[in-house]
Amino acid sequence: MIKKIITDATNSIASAMDLKALDDSRVLYLGKKGELTDLLKGLGKLSKEERPVMGEAINEAKVQIQKLIESRKNELEEIALTKRLLDEKIDVTLPARNFEKGSLHPITQTLNHIQDIFTKAGFEIEIGPEIEDDFHNFSALNIPEHHPARAMHDTFYFDANTVLRTHTSPVQIRTLERQDPPVRVIVPGKVYRCDSDVTHTPMFHQVEGLIVDKEASFSQLKGLLIDFLRAYFEKDDLKVRFRPSYFPFTEPSAEADIECVICAGEGCRVCKKSGWLEVLGCGVVHPNVLTAVNIDPNEFSGLAFGMGVERLAMLRYSVNDLRLFFENDVRFLNQF
Amino acid sequence: MNISTRWIREWANPDVGDSELSEKLTMAGLEVDRIAPVAPAFEGLVVGHVVNCEKHPNADKLSLCEIDIGDGSNLQIICGAPNVKKDLKVVVATVGSVLPSGLKIKRAKLRGVESNGMLCSESEIGLSESHEGIIELDGPCTLGENIRSTLDLDDQIIELDITPNRGDCFSVLGVAREVCVNYNLSMPSIHYKADQKGNTPFNSKVANPDECAKYLTRVIEGVDNNAETPKWMAQKLLRASQQLHSPIVDITNYVLLELGQPMHAFDLKTISGDIEVRSAHKNEKLELLNGQTVSLSEKTLVIADESSAIAIAGVMGGMKTATMPDSSEILLESAFFDPIAIAGIARSYGLHTEASLRFERGVDFHITHQALERATELVLEICGGKASQINECVDSTSLPALEPIDISNDKISKVLGFDLEPSWIESKFKFLEFDFTANTDNSWTIKPPSFRFDIRIPADIIEELARLYGYDKIPVQRLSINANISTSSQAAISANEFSNSLVNRGYKEVITYSFISHEMHELVSPNAAKILLKNPISDDMAVMRSSLWPGLIQSAKSNIRRGHHNARFFELGQCFSGTSVEDQVQKIAGIICGNRYDSQWSGSEREVDFFDAKSDVQSLLFHSKSEYAFEAADHPALQMGQSAKIMKGKELIGWIGALSPKLQKTLSMPNSFLFEVNQKSIDQGEISCYEPFSSFQASQRDIAVVVSKEITADQLINSIRSLKQDDLVDVNLFDVYEGEHIDEGSKSIALNLTYQSIEITLTDEQLAEKVSKIVAHLESKFSAKLR
Repeated sequence: MIKKIITDATNSIASAMDLKALDDSRVLYLGKKGELTDLLKGLGKLSKEERPVMGEAINEAKVQIQKLIESRKNELEEIALTKRLLDEKIDVTLPARNFEKGSLHPITQTLNHIQDIFTKAGFEIEIGPEIEDDFHNFSALNIPEHHPARAMHDTFYFDANTVLRTHTSPVQIRTLERQDPPVRVIVPGKVYRCDSDVTHTPMFHQVEGLIVDKEASFSQLKGLLIDFLRAYFEKDDLKVRFRPSYFPFTEPSAEADIECVICAGEGCRVCKKSGWLEVLGCGVVHPNVLTAVNIDPNEFSGLAFGMGVERLAMLRYSVNDLRLFFENDVRFLNQF
Repeated sequence: MNISTRWIREWANPDVGDSELSEKLTMAGLEVDRIAPVAPAFEGLVVGHVVNCEKHPNADKLSLCEIDIGDGSNLQIICGAPNVKKDLKVVVATVGSVLPSGLKIKRAKLRGVESNGMLCSESEIGLSESHEGIIELDGPCTLGENIRSTLDLDDQIIELDITPNRGDCFSVLGVAREVCVNYNLSMPSIHYKADQKGNTPFNSKVANPDECAKYLTRVIEGVDNNAETPKWMAQKLLRASQQLHSPIVDITNYVLLELGQPMHAFDLKTISGDIEVRSAHKNEKLELLNGQTVSLSEKTLVIADESSAIAIAGVMGGMKTATMPDSSEILLESAFFDPIAIAGIARSYGLHTEASLRFERGVDFHITHQALERATELVLEICGGKASQINECVDSTSLPALEPIDISNDKISKVLGFDLEPSWIESKFKFLEFDFTANTDNSWTIKPPSFRFDIRIPADIIEELARLYGYDKIPVQRLSINANISTSSQAAISANEFSNSLVNRGYKEVITYSFISHEMHELVSPNAAKILLKNPISDDMAVMRSSLWPGLIQSAKSNIRRGHHNARFFELGQCFSGTSVEDQVQKIAGIICGNRYDSQWSGSEREVDFFDAKSDVQSLLFHSKSEYAFEAADHPALQMGQSAKIMKGKELIGWIGALSPKLQKTLSMPNSFLFEVNQKSIDQGEISCYEPFSSFQASQRDIAVVVSKEITADQLINSIRSLKQDDLVDVNLFDVYEGEHIDEGSKSIALNLTYQSIEITLTDEQLAEKVSKIVAHLESKFSAKLR
């Protein structure tokens, strides 16, 4: 009798194709009116000896059927899940929703790169006004009126005393007017020259650097700038050379060249076959500049340097036309 | 300055090649921009003599020549040049020679007659572009000689980029000095003395000796200015990019290039009376050698005769007194003008001359006399004549004072960061022609030579030593660690944080010029101060921007024209409301137009609107945690009803809105939205301060009220907030509806109120009471009706 119930139940459970059919089977065999329940109800009619044997058999059958139901339920759920997963399959290669590629201008990225290197070496960042007076842009920097260097600056004027700054150097003066040494600053910013052709834009960017301290020597300046250029171009053995040059606000003055990063010093169009690229100017701050801001040149020494940001950006990103930086064509901007 | 290395080597001839020499000069501070041979490579060209020249039997324009090249057998060569004739000395390309063009000369037949070579023009051997017939050699030359040595072609021209401090190097003498100093060579001493056979005195006086401490003149009579400038001189001048004129002018140019002393020659017959060096009279007129007539300023020093100014001192001579081919009596001038007196004068008349270039930077005041003797020698040699005595006006007290400079070895070490040997230092002082004495305390007292106007303070001497030691050899040191810790506040918000907020929202940064067109200024900021450049590059770049919008609009426009319609650009930069420091403020601005997103597979396209821009602005504002308000207001560039002031308390910190339809039309722009904020007003945040949060449950209640359309969302929300109701932690507007079921002129606004107590869980009754108070408040204040 029990065996038959088990056989029937096994068949019924196995043939249940969904949870509903499986539940029907459960009711049929284990429910309040199910076949096993009926048997249990009939136990009272059995003898004292038969009762425990029969009872145990019924319970075993019940447990066995419950297990079958449980296992079939798991199977059915598994099947259902598999079906759902298949239904819900997506093409993961479809484009992301609402993704937009913004970008920082390559000049800003270059400025950030330069600033990061110098701030690690303890430099503060200073900025200054772009419309300057004659004192800060020229006189205080040891460029008196009619100095030949003024002619080289192609200055934009507002009036005889007011100009668009031709370099970031006036911020040297503004910093020293405000702050006592020791000073260690860099000055990123826009500068202006009245000049516009293939290799000149009337507005461009410079980064100026200034150190004023009791001990500051030309050899330290060399060390700092070699380290900087190697960090900027991420090339530990980048060749750097220093040449004597002239700036009214430094003495001694130097220009620094790096081995051409385009041709590795072999000589190409970019370096005009010389193998070298001029990248910055520097020097020991002229005593007249320190005196102009009431700093005793016998007590303090200054080191200063300045670089053209567009030049460094062009070399770093292989940009071959300066004017691209100010045309703001998205086909250009998208590349940075 | 261009100069031939041959010429330099006549003065200073180190045992190195030209390229090594030019490298040395560059590394010594005389930057060589370019070095180029005077003639390209070619071989096999020799001097020939046209022994016979007849017309070609079969061609009218060809000549049949017999050329002697010194080897005994005459060559038959056909020549097409019109200037070929018997007895010319010519350049012969013999069979087998190769011209710079790569042409190899072969035996050929021209119209049936054999030709064994070619007679060359300047262009054929790369000396010039001239096709004006074949070269006619003159002077003594040996037949068969290699033309490279006959024409002195194994020479190179170096182009020097001389810095403004090294006026002394604008001459062969100056460059040669540099070569000697760098190669430890001794400089040849100069001593010129011309024959003085005449005795015609000439009087001159100097009214401003502080501006002209030396004024030397000399009369030379009986000169032949039709004589030919000798080849050797012409060649040097041409190789120095100096054009040839008459011999007298060529000689003055030659002395200028050789010794660095600008000279002038007047035609003596055109000078009336004595010469006076004086300041120009106001508006005095002078016709200059270049044909330009200038009206002189009183600041200008002039050379004048009894009637008028005849030259601008140190700049250019006048037309009236210029030497002409028939000039036979000349007055040679050699002077020292103070650099300060000459500085800027040439430029103020739009001039830039070889003389002003040198006088502005400083000319050796000890060479004035020698230069005059040198020029006289050359005049007598080339043009003949009879030189008279030199007339000198010299005020030695007005010459530049060569003050002694004290420099200690310690100072040198301190500035350079390493020690130099005193004996080495002294040897360099000698080569530099410094007059020095060694002091007992390891220092020196130095008097610079008269040609070095750039040596005035100890730093100048240190630079000399450093560059002669070699910048490249100077050891490298590291800066000491700077232990000053930056004091910037954690609450400060950097420009990069703002930029990155916008970049993460799909904006591309642009950098546009700070000067804009008049038109853009008038359109975008008609009420702002118009800061005008006095010398703009063009009218399009004449006004300093008072807003970043013109540049952004132009950027969007040019990209739209190229087919990029969905623009999202921002810029950070200074804007100008005046020229003082306070009038220059850093702004952040953006423009958006087109669709909010590029078309994509999911979701539908929609155009950007005001609230997209507002969201972007809020991404900037939220950094500072301050309260900002958007107040409807009109702006000349923005669309009425879709523009707002951005306020921080009572401070106007920016604008946002739609580009006005009028500007859209004028500028051919699509619907665009713009914003601009003053960076200074939003770049100070605050340090966060923790407040405990409630552990009791928050409850939400929604209300919808109908109010007049004129009531703004901010008015409702601020009014509710102003009640300062306990436990009301948030008010969120989640729906605005106008239309069916709502009266004309009204709108329905749905608000979500969040309540949360720090002490208890609020009961329904408590919540209902709080909400009803708010509803009652809205009813009384805004005549709101609960829906």
